[in-house]
Amino acid sequence: MEQWIEFAKGPLFAFTFLIMILGLARLVVIQIFSLITGKGRRLRNAPWRKIIADAASWVVPVKHLIPGTKIFSTLSYLFHIGVLLVPLFLADHIVLWEGFLGINLPAIGYGVADSLTLFTIFCVIIMFSFRLFSRRLRSMSRHADYGLLIAVIIPFISGYLATHPSYNPFPWDVMMLIHLLSAELLFVLIPFTKLAHIVLFFFDRISGLHWQLRPGAGDKVAEELYGKEARV
Amino acid sequence: MDGSINSATAVSTKNSKTVKYPYYIEDPVTENRVARFLEAFAAVVKYSDYKPLLDSYCTSTAKCNRCAVACPVFLATGDPKDIPCYRTNLLLETYRRYFTIGGWLKSRFGGGFELTDEIIDEMLDGFYRCTACRRCTRECPMGVDHGLITHLGRYILSLIGIVPKALQVSVREQLEGETRNTSKVPKAALLNTLEFLSDEMEESLGVKLQFPVDEPGRDYVFFCAVSDYLMEPETLMGNAAVLYAAGDWDRWTIGTGNYDGINYGLFYSDWHLENIIKQLISEVTRLNGKSILIGECGHASRSAHDFVPVFGGKEAYPVTNFMEYTLDCIRKGKITLDPDIVTERVTYHDPCNIARSGWIVDQPREILRSFVKDFVDMKPAGQDNFCCGGGGGLVSVDEIHEFRMSVGGRVKAEQLRKTGASICIAPCANCKKQLKELVEYYEIPCRVMGLHDLILRAIQIPGGKSTAERKEEAAMLEI
Repeated sequence: MEQWIEFAKGPLFAFTFLIMILGLARLVVIQIFSLITGKGRRLRNAPWRKIIADAASWVVPVKHLIPGTKIFSTLSYLFHIGVLLVPLFLADHIVLWEGFLGINLPAIGYGVADSLTLFTIFCVIIMFSFRLFSRRLRSMSRHADYGLLIAVIIPFISGYLATHPSYNPFPWDVMMLIHLLSAELLFVLIPFTKLAHIVLFFFDRISGLHWQLRPGAGDKVAEELYGKEARV
Repeated sequence: MDGSINSATAVSTKNSKTVKYPYYIEDPVTENRVARFLEAFAAVVKYSDYKPLLDSYCTSTAKCNRCAVACPVFLATGDPKDIPCYRTNLLLETYRRYFTIGGWLKSRFGGGFELTDEIIDEMLDGFYRCTACRRCTRECPMGVDHGLITHLGRYILSLIGIVPKALQVSVREQLEGETRNTSKVPKAALLNTLEFLSDEMEESLGVKLQFPVDEPGRDYVFFCAVSDYLMEPETLMGNAAVLYAAGDWDRWTIGTGNYDGINYGLFYSDWHLENIIKQLISEVTRLNGKSILIGECGHASRSAHDFVPVFGGKEAYPVTNFMEYTLDCIRKGKITLDPDIVTERVTYHDPCNIARSGWIVDQPREILRSFVKDFVDMKPAGQDNFCCGGGGGLVSVDEIHEFRMSVGGRVKAEQLRKTGASICIAPCANCKKQLKELVEYYEIPCRVMGLHDLILRAIQIPGGKSTAERKEEAAMLEI
């Protein structure tokens, strides 16, 4: 079991982390390349100030708490705090970042990490329940929307249990292995699922840019489909 | 095609099911719809810039349903098929399956999405239940522009002949017909109308004004919704009154080569959007004009403002909405509005096409507050205001009147009623039509008019009748 844990902490961690980074980088590069080659000079006409102001308004989206979705939206937003802070700044994780990436991040206290972990688990359970019991949300939800919530909660539950033996019904090494493997599964899922919104968030928001349509494209499409004499 | 309901019935090739379209279509496609749809989609992806957008949206939509609670159509029906993300997903799933490697791979493992006639039926219905108001976009945490997807979906459908006949016929006349405008108003009728307006203004305002036509080298070439020349004389007289009172009568002109600011391409076709814009620009160039002045029409304003820079190249003339011009006149003291004329409670409806982006939100309010004693805003207002229910070209499709009233406009009607206003200002030709029908349908005691209709009552006319005299005469006429 110890060998499996060392493998999961070592080569497997590096491999899956690399998949995540390269996968996200690929998305960013493709988006930027497509925008530059496609839009070219029209990028200048986009309402950049409005785009940036709009994106910034979502960092603390109080004004976006609209009736009918306040609870789900609030929990969904707050859930991100734990999801970002605990994996990055927990002392036990910082050792990994330092070892693999050479970066030294400040650590959050274990008490804070425990609170954030429990809150994250709570948020995920509520969001999952919404998807189960709200007709409106259920109608839109795909298998992946449920699966990804489970994929996110397992590393948090297993991490918490691994560090709190009094609550852990399984041997520590089993729980640690589950924690490592579930986190690494998330790394692999991130670039290929909606979790890629980590980087795609900004590209989605620039709809003002996407309305900068390509001149002449309409004529070319019409000609390809109906020939030079295409009519309305 | 005789335009009757029967002519809008097409036979689906799958299961030989008879499909009834929700609106009249000139020439329904009946064979190989799936293949033709994909062929059209492929051509659009090949020549346009939609690929990065579709790639990004495909991956990152959160399925959080925030768009649903922002959508006036969903709020009226509660039908999951009216959720913007549901509708957007029809197109995104098609894109993913047929235009991405991941989608192709996934399809090898059985089941999964396949485009069918039934899904095309859902799209042609769903994309025309959307008013393209983009309220959903403002509330989407990812910023997915469902209005843009509606536009794209309608564009692809139009390329296989699926588009409401009302819109297609209008655009055909505008781009290929003799009159080059959506209402088939010939030049002679335009000139007659301008004569009539001139006479009306002489009688009501006490000044004789000859509308400038085809005058070269003017600062402003004026375009409004061509239907205004037939149906909204007070809006046009209000525009003219502001120009005259501001001393700018020699700075503007109407062009008889093209006098229609309407652009249905914004609703359903990149191809037509570009060609109509180019037609607009050509007229300004012909007259050696310096800029474009758009009257009270939301989509005409947005089409010109956003797409003249995109398609105009070196002829990308600046575009001003008439309300911006009027506010500038007020701020510079070039016109005076009498604050004692309008005593009714007035509210303001924000046309989506000029307000959603934040372009025209405060300007009309500043104008109204300068001369209206009892102004009350709707809730919500501004960028978050609700669509009239006839947006995205729906107001021009008469056969869906019941949908526009009972579904599209239901939330708007409630908003309007709650203000208690007896006048609703709607500076958009389409919104005015929709709101006038709404107040009748829901029996709301409110008059709908353009902003410049109200300004016409209150504006001081140099050398003309006083506002008090005009108010008295108007009251006599109403008796």
